[in-house]
Amino acid sequence: MIARLSAYERVGRFAAIAGAALVLLSVMLPWAYGKRALDDMTYFFGPSPLQLCGAGVAAVCLAALIAGLVALPGRGPTMLCWNDMARVGGIGLAFYVGAVLVAVAVATGGLVNVEAGGWLAFGGAVLAALGGLTLPDSPQATLSHFLTPSWGQIAAIVVAIASALFAAAAAVNQGDVEDFVVFGVWLAAAIFLVRASGVFAWLSLAAAGNRQVLVMAAFVAAFAFPFTQNGSDANMSVAAQVLTFAGTAIGLNIVVGLVGLLDLGYIAFLGAGAFTAAVLSKSAFATLSVDLPFPVVVVISGTVASLLGLLIGTPTLRVSGDYLAIVTLAFGEIFRITMNNLDGTDGPNITHGSNGVPGIPNLNLFGFDFGQSHEILGVTLTRHANYYMLLLVVIALIIVVFTNLNHSRIGRGWVAIREDEMAAEAMGVNTFALKLLAFAGGAFLAGVAGSVKAYTDTSVSPDQYVFLESAFLLAAVVLGGMGTVMGVLIGATILKLLPEKLRFFDDYRLLLFGALMVLMMRFRPEGIIADERRQLEFHDEDEELAEDVETELVVHQAHHNLEGGKRS
Amino acid sequence: MTKTAKAAIIAAVAASVALAGCGTRDESNSAGGDTVEKKVVTIGTISPLTGDLSAVGSGIRNGVDLAVKQANASDAIPGWEIKIEPMDDEAKPDTGKNAATKLAADDTVIAVVGTMNSSVAQPVAPVLNAADISMVSPANTSPALTKGADLNAPVRQNKSFFRLCASDDKQGPFAADYLLEQGIKKVATIHDKKVYGQGLVEEFTKAFTAGGGEIVAAETINPEDKDYNTVISKVKSASPEAIYYGGEYPQAGPLSQQAKAAGLKIPLMGGDGLYDAAYIELAGKDAAEGDLTTSVGAPVDSLESAKAFAEAYAAGGYAEGIGPYGAYSYDAANVIISALKTTLASATDAKSARAATVDAIQSFTTTTAATGDISFDEFGDNTNQVMTVYKVEGGEWKAAYTGTAM
Amino acid sequence: MTPDLFFEQLVNGLSLGSLYALIAVGYTVVYGIVQLINFAHGEIFMMGAFGAYTVWLLAGSPTELSAAAALGLLLPAMILGGILVAVGTALLTERFAYRPLRGAPRLAPLISAIGISVFLQEFVRLFYGRIPGFPDSKRAIPFPHIEGISGNSIQLGDVSIKMTSVFTVAALLICTAFLWYYINRTKTGRAMIATSQDPDTARLMGIDVDRVIMSAFAVGAALAAVAGVAHGMYIGNIDFKMGFMAGLKAFTAAVLGGIGNINGAVVGGVVLGLVEAFAGQVGDTAWKDVWAFVILILVLVFRPQGLLGAKVVDRA
Repeated sequence: MIARLSAYERVGRFAAIAGAALVLLSVMLPWAYGKRALDDMTYFFGPSPLQLCGAGVAAVCLAALIAGLVALPGRGPTMLCWNDMARVGGIGLAFYVGAVLVAVAVATGGLVNVEAGGWLAFGGAVLAALGGLTLPDSPQATLSHFLTPSWGQIAAIVVAIASALFAAAAAVNQGDVEDFVVFGVWLAAAIFLVRASGVFAWLSLAAAGNRQVLVMAAFVAAFAFPFTQNGSDANMSVAAQVLTFAGTAIGLNIVVGLVGLLDLGYIAFLGAGAFTAAVLSKSAFATLSVDLPFPVVVVISGTVASLLGLLIGTPTLRVSGDYLAIVTLAFGEIFRITMNNLDGTDGPNITHGSNGVPGIPNLNLFGFDFGQSHEILGVTLTRHANYYMLLLVVIALIIVVFTNLNHSRIGRGWVAIREDEMAAEAMGVNTFALKLLAFAGGAFLAGVAGSVKAYTDTSVSPDQYVFLESAFLLAAVVLGGMGTVMGVLIGATILKLLPEKLRFFDDYRLLLFGALMVLMMRFRPEGIIADERRQLEFHDEDEELAEDVETELVVHQAHHNLEGGKRS
Repeated sequence: MTKTAKAAIIAAVAASVALAGCGTRDESNSAGGDTVEKKVVTIGTISPLTGDLSAVGSGIRNGVDLAVKQANASDAIPGWEIKIEPMDDEAKPDTGKNAATKLAADDTVIAVVGTMNSSVAQPVAPVLNAADISMVSPANTSPALTKGADLNAPVRQNKSFFRLCASDDKQGPFAADYLLEQGIKKVATIHDKKVYGQGLVEEFTKAFTAGGGEIVAAETINPEDKDYNTVISKVKSASPEAIYYGGEYPQAGPLSQQAKAAGLKIPLMGGDGLYDAAYIELAGKDAAEGDLTTSVGAPVDSLESAKAFAEAYAAGGYAEGIGPYGAYSYDAANVIISALKTTLASATDAKSARAATVDAIQSFTTTTAATGDISFDEFGDNTNQVMTVYKVEGGEWKAAYTGTAM
Repeated sequence: MTPDLFFEQLVNGLSLGSLYALIAVGYTVVYGIVQLINFAHGEIFMMGAFGAYTVWLLAGSPTELSAAAALGLLLPAMILGGILVAVGTALLTERFAYRPLRGAPRLAPLISAIGISVFLQEFVRLFYGRIPGFPDSKRAIPFPHIEGISGNSIQLGDVSIKMTSVFTVAALLICTAFLWYYINRTKTGRAMIATSQDPDTARLMGIDVDRVIMSAFAVGAALAAVAGVAHGMYIGNIDFKMGFMAGLKAFTAAVLGGIGNINGAVVGGVVLGLVEAFAGQVGDTAWKDVWAFVILILVLVFRPQGLLGAKVVDRA
C-alpha cells in the first residue's frame, strides 16, 4: 500500500506525521520561562489551556495524516478530505505556534524566554506544514453524498452552534492582548481545518434542511452567552454595542445589500431613534418627557426614523446612482448639525445641542429593573447583560423582518432593481415605491436599534453620529457580505470587538480599515459570507465558480427531492 | 515508522528527560517574587490617549503616574502597592463607558482620575458611581455633571464624582470680570457648538452683560470648517473691542490668525482649551500677541508646590508635556492616595474600601497641592477656584492676573 | 448690510468659491470620463497641500526671503511639488484601486474610493510627522508665510482685500484658462472629450482609453494641488483632514454646476462659495453648512442636470 505512494509524497507525509506528533508531545514540556507569558506554559506534564488547544489541532492533523494513508482513491474512508485537512492543519499549527512564540517574547521580553518545549513545538509545526504541502489534493469529500437521519443533522447543528458559543465566550474572556491574539490565531486555524475537511459543506446542507432548528439553536446560544460571563459587565457592555451596531447594519443591508443603493449617512437613522427615545424618556434633560410604555417608545422611534427616511428618500431616489451616496452623506451631516442646533439658541430647544440628553433612567419592564444585577440560575446577570437580552429580542425581530422581506415578492423586486433597474421597471416592478420602502424600512430598523441604544448608553449626544460611524456601518456590511444576515453579524462583531480587544493597534485602526475596504473590493467584493447571487455577479467571468454554485444547487435539489420522496 | 519520526521522538523524549533536571526552576521563579506580599490597589485613568486630543489626555495619565510613583517610592500606604491602569477613551462617550465598565469589573480598582471631555464623563460617572468607585476629574468643566440639569435648583448627580478644575460657570464669569476691568465693554462671542465651548460662552455672556458690558455679536463656527472669514467679516462689522471664543486651540489658533489678517486687530480671549503652546504656533506669533486665556490654578512659578511638581514632572522623563490638566490630575491622584491612607489601613481588600474612600475624599482638605488649596463642597466641586489670566507676550503665555472666582 | 460689508463678504465668498471650483473640476473631469465619483479627490487636494509644504521644509524652511525670491522661486517650486505629489497619488490610486474595478458593479469603486479616502488621511496623520525634522501631523500645521502675499492686503476705501484672496481667485482664472486650452486645443484633451462622449467608439478610433483616464485623473489632481497651496495661504494652516469637508463641498459644487461639465464645476464652485458667505452673513452661522447641503438636494430634485447642464444625467 505504501509502495504506491510517490517517493516525494511519502517523505512528506511521514515528515508531517513526525511533526504533528512532535507538537502533540511538546505540550507536555514547558514552552515559556516565566508565568506571565500567556496562560502559564511553564509546567511539565501539565499543559495550559492554550497548549491543549494547540494539541487538539495537532491530534486532528495527525489523525487526518494517518487516515489519508489508509484512504486511497476507491478504497477506504473518503468521507472527509484527509489530505486537505492535514495540509491546512499543518500550516495552521505553524501559525499558531509562531504566534505563541512571538507572544511569549513580547510578554517576557525576548525569545530567550522560550523554553526548549516551545522550540520543539515550532520545529514540529513547521515540519508538519512543509510535509503537508507535499500531499496531493484530496478528492471531493463524499460526506455530503450521505443522507444522515434528521436527528443526526439536528445534533450536528446543535454541536456546531454550541462550539461557536464556546469559542466566542472563550475569545472574549481572554484578558490579555497576547492571549486574545494567540487564541484568535488558533481559532482561525481550527476553522480552516474544519472547512478543509468538507464538514462545512455538509453542515450547510444540513442547515438548509433544518432552518428552524438552526435559527432556534443560534438564538438559544446567543441567550446563553451572558451565562458564560458570570458577572463580568465589561464584556457584556461590548456585546451590547456589537448587537446595536449589528442591528443597524442589518437595516443598512436592506438598502445597500438588497436594493444596491449606497447610503453614506445611515448613522443618522440610528441617531434619530436614539434622540427620539432620549427626548421622550424620563431624564431630567428630556424636553418632551412623557410616560409611555417602552414598546410604544420603540415604535415611535422607529417611525420617526422611517419618516426621516421618507423625507430624504422621496426627493432623491428619483436621481438614482452615485448621486444618492453623496446626498445621503450630506443628509447625515445635516442631521448632526441640526441636532447640534436644536438647543434653544439656534433653534427650538429639543436636544440640548451638543450636551445631548444625559441621565436617561434605566428601563423597568414588568417589574424587571434593567439597572440592577440579577441572579439567575446561580449566575449573575449584570446591567449590560439585561440590555443585551433586550437587544437580542430586538435583533431577532429585525432579522425576522429582514429575512421575510428578502424572501418575499418585495425582496425579489429589490434584487431586480439592484441587478437592472430599467429591466425591472419594464417588467412592471414599481421601482420608486420599492426603493422608498427599502429606505423607510431600513431606517425603521435602525431607529428601533437606536431607541434601545439610548437606554443602554444612558446618554445621547450629536457627536456620536458622525460620518465615520456611517462608514463603519457600511464596512460591516461590505466586510461581512452584502445581502446576508450572517455576514453582517460577523462583520459587525469583527469591527466592534477587535478594537476593544486590541487596544494597542488602536491608532492604526482606521488605516487598516481603509486598506481593508480597498482590498476587499479588489479581491473579495462579496464579503466573508457571500450571497450566492451576489458572488456570481461579482465574478461573472469566473466560469468555474458558476459551475460550483450550479453543482451545489443540484446536490441540494437532489437532497430535497430524496427527502420529499421519503416523506410522501 | 520512518527513521525520521523515530529519531524525532527519541529526541523529544531525550529533551524532556534532560530538561526535567531543571524542573524546579519555575517554582523558584514564582516563589522568589512573592516573598514580600503586598496587596494591590489600582487607580484608573480615563482620558484620550489616541486621536486629536491625545497630547492633553496623555498629560492626565502622566500626572497620575507621577503621583503613584512618588507614593510607592515613599511607601505612602504601608502594606499596599498602588498600580495605575490607564484607559483610552478616544474622546468618545461609548469608548469611555466601556473603559469605565472594565475598571469597575476589576476588584483592585478603587478610584479613577478622568475624564477629559464632559461628554465622556456623562456616561462614565454613573457607571463608576454604581460601583462606589471614586471619580476625581481634573478637567471636566460642564456644571451639569455636579449640579444636574437645572443650575437654579442644583441636585448632586453622582455621589462618587468630584472635580478639581473650575466649571464653566466659574471660568466664564472670571474672564468677563477681567475684560470689564480692562475697560472693554463691547465683546463679540464665537463658539464651536461643543459642550465645552458653548457652556463657556453662555456663562461668560451672563456675567458680562450683568457687569454692564455689551455682546455686540454672537456667532458660531463649525469645528470641521477651516475658513472663518465669513464669521470674521460679520463680527468685524459690529466693531467689538475683543472676541471671546469658546472652544479649543485647534480652531482658536487659525481663527485668531484669520481675524488679524482680515484687519480685526483686537485680542481674542478664551478658556483653558486655548492654554497650549500650539495655539500660538497656529495663530502665528504676531497674530497671537495680546490674546488672552483663563486657566485653572495659580501660575506654576508662583506656588512652591506647583514648582516642585513641574520639576518632578520634567525629571520623570515623560514623552508628552504636562498639558493644561497635568497638575490637576497629579493633585487628583494625591487626593485619592491621601484618602486611601485612612481607608486602606484596616481594609483587607480594595473592593471593600471603595465606599469609605468616597466619604474620605468628600471630607478631604489640603492647602499644599500643586494647584493650591483643595476641598469639596456638597456637590463635589472644588471650593477653591483659583484662576489665572494668561496673555501672549513675545510668543509665550505669561501670567497676567491671578484671582479667585466667585 | 453696509456696502463695505457686502463687498467684504463678496470677496470671502469668491475666495472660498474659487477653492471649491478648483477642486470640483477634478470630480467633474473624472466623472465625465469614467462615471466614477472619486470620493478620495478631497484627499488628493490634501496631499497637494502637504506636497507643497514638504518642498518648503526641504528648502530649509526659509522665513526671511525677499518678496521677489518668494514669489519667483519658492512659490512656483511649492506649487510644482504639490502637483507632483497630488498627481502621483491620483495615478497610483487609479492604477491600483480603480482600474481593476472597471466593469465591476457600481458600488465597488465607490466603496473602494471611501477606503482610499480614509487610508490617505490616516497615512498622512500617522506617518508624515514621523519623518525626522517634519512637524507633528496629528494636528494642524501652520502654512509658511509667503512674502508678498501672506499678510499683505490691498486697500480699497474702507475695504481691505487680502492678497491671499487675490491669489486664490487669480489661481482659479489662470487654471481655468489653462484647462480650456488643454481640453479644446490639445490632442489628449480632445481624446478626453471623445472618450467621455462614447468610450467604445473612441477606443475603435485608436484612442488609448487607459491613457485618457489617467490624464483625467492627473489634470484633476494638478488643479487640486494648486487649490491646496491656495488653501494653505488663505486659511493659514493645513491638516490631514482638510480634504474631507472641502471635498464634500466641491462635489456639491460639481453637481450644482452639472456634473461632467467643466464650466459648470467652476460656476458651481463660485456660486456655492457665495451662498455660504451670504447665508452666514444674513442668517445664523450655525446653519451655514446646512444651507449648502440643502441646495445640493434641491438642485438634484428640481434640476438634476445642474445649472449649466450635465453631460450625463441618468447613468445609474
